Amino acid sequence: MFTMTYCKFTYYNCLALFIIVLTGCDSSETLSLSKKSIIYCSEGAPESFNPQTVTSGTTIDATANQLYNRLIEFNPTDNSVVPAIAKSWHVTRDGKMVTFYLRKDIEFHQTAYFTPTRNLNADDVLFSFNRMLDENHLYYPVSGGKYPFFQNAQLVDLIDNIEKINEYTIRFQLSHSDSSFLANIGGNSAVILSKEYADELVELNTMQEIDILPIGTGPFKFKQYSSGAFIRYEPHANYWRGKSDLKQLVFDITPRDTGRLTKLLAGECDIIAYPIAHEKIKQHPNLTLESVTSFNVGYFGFNTSKPPFNDPLVRKAISYAINKQAILETVYTGQAEIADGLIPNSSWAYDSTITSQEYSITKAQALLAEAGYSNGFSMNLWAMPVQRAYNPDAVTMAKLIQADLQKIGVDVEIVFDYEWSTFLRKISEGEHQSVLLGWSADHPDPDNFFSTLLSCASAVTGSNRTFWCNEEFDQLIQSALQTNNINSRKAYYSKALKLINEEVPLIPIAHSKRYQARANNINGTLLRSIGGIDFNGVTKN
Amino acid sequence: MGLLKTNMLIFTLRRFSLFFFTMWLLTILSFSLSFLFPGEQLINLTGEINASPEQLAVLANEYQQQANLLTQYFSYVSHLFHGDMGYSMTSHLPIMTEIINRLPATVELTCVALLVAMFFGIPIGFCAAIYHRKAPDNFILAIAMIGYSIPVFWLGILAILVFSVQLGWLPSAGQISLLFEIKHVTGLQLVDILLSDSEYKWQAFQDATRHLILPVIVVALAPATIFMRLARTAMLEVLDTHYIKAAKAKGLTFSQIIYRHAMRNAVIKVIRDVGLQFAHLITIAMVTEVIFSWPGIGRWLIESIYQRDYTAIQGGLIVLSTFIFIVHIIIDFVYAALNPLAREPNHGT
Amino acid sequence: MARDKIYLEEEFPTPLMQLWHNFKQPPVVMIGFGCFLFLIALALLASVITPYSSVENHLDHLLLPPAWSDEGNVSFLLGTDNLGRDMLSRLMHGTSLTFGLSIIVVMASLVIGVIIGSLSALTSGIKSSILNHFLDVILSIPSLLLAIIIVAILGPGLENTLWAIIMVLIPQFVHITRNAVKEEFAKDYVLASRLDGASSIRILWYSIFPNIIEKLISQATLAQSTAILEIAALGFLGLGAPIPMPEWGAMLANGIDLFYIAPWTVYLPGLAILFSVIATNLVGEGMRHALKVRKEN
Repeated sequence: MFTMTYCKFTYYNCLALFIIVLTGCDSSETLSLSKKSIIYCSEGAPESFNPQTVTSGTTIDATANQLYNRLIEFNPTDNSVVPAIAKSWHVTRDGKMVTFYLRKDIEFHQTAYFTPTRNLNADDVLFSFNRMLDENHLYYPVSGGKYPFFQNAQLVDLIDNIEKINEYTIRFQLSHSDSSFLANIGGNSAVILSKEYADELVELNTMQEIDILPIGTGPFKFKQYSSGAFIRYEPHANYWRGKSDLKQLVFDITPRDTGRLTKLLAGECDIIAYPIAHEKIKQHPNLTLESVTSFNVGYFGFNTSKPPFNDPLVRKAISYAINKQAILETVYTGQAEIADGLIPNSSWAYDSTITSQEYSITKAQALLAEAGYSNGFSMNLWAMPVQRAYNPDAVTMAKLIQADLQKIGVDVEIVFDYEWSTFLRKISEGEHQSVLLGWSADHPDPDNFFSTLLSCASAVTGSNRTFWCNEEFDQLIQSALQTNNINSRKAYYSKALKLINEEVPLIPIAHSKRYQARANNINGTLLRSIGGIDFNGVTKN
Repeated sequence: MGLLKTNMLIFTLRRFSLFFFTMWLLTILSFSLSFLFPGEQLINLTGEINASPEQLAVLANEYQQQANLLTQYFSYVSHLFHGDMGYSMTSHLPIMTEIINRLPATVELTCVALLVAMFFGIPIGFCAAIYHRKAPDNFILAIAMIGYSIPVFWLGILAILVFSVQLGWLPSAGQISLLFEIKHVTGLQLVDILLSDSEYKWQAFQDATRHLILPVIVVALAPATIFMRLARTAMLEVLDTHYIKAAKAKGLTFSQIIYRHAMRNAVIKVIRDVGLQFAHLITIAMVTEVIFSWPGIGRWLIESIYQRDYTAIQGGLIVLSTFIFIVHIIIDFVYAALNPLAREPNHGT
Repeated sequence: MARDKIYLEEEFPTPLMQLWHNFKQPPVVMIGFGCFLFLIALALLASVITPYSSVENHLDHLLLPPAWSDEGNVSFLLGTDNLGRDMLSRLMHGTSLTFGLSIIVVMASLVIGVIIGSLSALTSGIKSSILNHFLDVILSIPSLLLAIIIVAILGPGLENTLWAIIMVLIPQFVHITRNAVKEEFAKDYVLASRLDGASSIRILWYSIFPNIIEKLISQATLAQSTAILEIAALGFLGLGAPIPMPEWGAMLANGIDLFYIAPWTVYLPGLAILFSVIATNLVGEGMRHALKVRKEN
């Protein structure tokens, strides 16, 4: 049995081998690969790879500016409209006819699943818009037939006809003048898809792939998506604004806030979305914390189609019982503004004379008694499970609201353990009684807040999570759109804001900044005050 | 020799009949879960939450819903045999695909952890037994006590803080850096890397090994301490037997006794109990997968409960339990190969 | 006046007294036992002796570090969390949840397990064999997966996870009871009372249970350390205690997001779990040691 001593010998050999493997990891070699690649730790998985079909910020971040371009875009500094696919445009004096002149040098992505034979032309633009506008279009029902951004903005009613003038000219015929039209066309969801690719998919009978294996004109092309884990992009070699320096771009989907920060600190991510522990990042010598004022609102919404919140008195009572100041200090650590109305004060439609309900337990109790709930009731509160700029920690906010409402005898059960896309689906089906959510604007026009969050049309598409449908309110926001006079628009919006404060379908809580943290060797700006992030022009040293 | 072979055959047959019996019970359990879970039984079974009434009628026919329970059960089992476990309620992918994508990561983590736990736990346990009731023994027992008392999720967090964030030695999450593109062949990351033709193969291999170290240590710690105690007890029992005393009387040195006589018999005693610890190890691995974002089946199952994906839970139950049984059987065979006594029919159960 | 002993009689302590005598020998076991009693006292008295309520928010004192740190405040000895809740009070209230409930869970599964185990020891043949294999199947399903299945059936919540853990622990008790009862039934004294005409139930109750109770208690301490870890793990995964409850695992999960700015919100609940599991294990260890010593004598 001399084998035992032999075993002992190999035992230590194995141990030594293990240690060699460990210490033999020379990180300088790995650098050759990581030097030209960026790993971005995002906060959630996209619902689709086509921003036409969704409005969630996570999806917009992963798709809109990376994979696609729009006819026109917004200048990141002053939010004015600038040329993109359309090199110029012309609006007739009555505002009813808009003509876009397209660039001729824009190429679509070449990938393993599609090879383009021609550059972008008017057919692609026509296809991209008709898919959303024309219910009889072959591609309309693919992926569910919901185009929330376009339907909320009621562009279906607005756009009478889209006409191809020649290969590189396209004309929109509007039913009436609409002051937010250009802003909507520049919005994240108005991306241009490839008609050639769509036709090829029709032949292959795999039409649903248009939103799963995307083809666009943006700076990056799609390489691989591992569901819920990561997205891999490669640079688009023939990008019309110039090819990116990067070798690859990876979105590492990391829903846990601490997980993202840990990865940044351990050097496993170059950039992270929505960082927590700002002080820790500021103290770190190799990391930078950035922020941008963003057009958003975090709100506490009621499902007005279900009792007890079908009664405006109950909703108003609750609005008196919420201590917004405490929420601001605890959840936003003071780095936001209390929201008095739906729109932030950086918007021109902001009206400082409108104030929301003050914090008053006695008023809340009186209203509750008036509504017939003097003994209180119990309700559920759905807190969004991911971090967004407008709500960095919904669960903590929910806990504070739970404690606040306890004081007026309302028992709150917090629902928070769903994954983000399941959460959104259940909310749009109206399973909740009340919800903590928010909205980041797609474009600078204030209409984007009103139509998307509270109009009757959006109650149908599901982006109005309160299911509140008020004719007077709809009338007001329609009237605001039909004029170009900024003062009369402002007057209409003020009335609408007052109506919201009276009826309280939702309680606006705060307007906040959007934060991001990155390693110091990453250059370029990718935060935008409107819409999603943009990796075009980002480099790594 | 002939007797030995028949004994081995009988042993194998017994093991396999036990395995099939167990699988039968498991499928009954999983089938009855589809009734116990909230919602409609057919939908729980198939995972087709968005199916139209017509599609549901087709499915009902396929699963013989109109017939009696026994027929329904058999139709369920025949679906299982064809690798059809229904569709995930959240991702709408076949459960089988989801499992094939994730199970290998768990197999890799748990098997490496089991080997590491044995590799370190058993010799340390022997060491404690040799120094019975002396300082090293007490020290090892104290470490063992802390090792199996520490909550694994807390240990994982502390390990990440120390080794990933503060020292920066090891990565904190995932199976491999996302920069490497490795094709999914077997699913076992290290094997796939060796099979791939990437120019960064060696770097990828090192990177994957580095990703494996922390989770493996966290998973292996508690089982290792249990093996320590088992090995210690086994060695003490062996040292107390007559043949060791006889060897001592013959004048063999202490190390000769340990290496030549005691070790092998003690190892056999420990191996017998390794199988029982494996289910426990899987529980630890499930939590560890969550902490280290390990793309395995444990994390997938825990996420499935957040999303009430009942079909996924049923499929996960069957696959994970089958995996545990298979490991049990392998360990039983190893035990039988080492210990001829175990092959005798009257000991074979 | 104590009556003088007339005869020199040898005293036989009861089995439990003997156990206690052997149990209290090693000092480290007594320390563990002391900690165990301390935790029980804390679990019972938490609501009386805590300085604050477990859900009271002190919005002026957010994320205070423990008192020994420079920015600490002595009125919040172990600091506060992100809602300004006193950590010390929450940990103390948590004792009655994580530790206290683990005792209840173990008792419930002990009772159920002993009943099933004794019944299965009394039956034989195919019924017993099926039960045996069924238990083997349950035992080889990882306990967390079993708990997930039960939570999926009943829905999340503290009460349901307790049922899940009871279910997880029952097979162990069935197993040990069945083996112990069978072992005892083979002994001569049982045969003697059987010849006297005692029924099986009577033998179980009067002859066997007093002899296997120590084994059950020793298994119960093992089960309790498992129960604490399981309650905490399910709380950590967000399947157990609902949100404001100061269950240690749930507290730790809540602390994770504050880890880099307020590490004590992670360290303290973890230490509490570790402390209570070690105390339980020390008691169990002492128990098994005492049993072994008695057997040897």
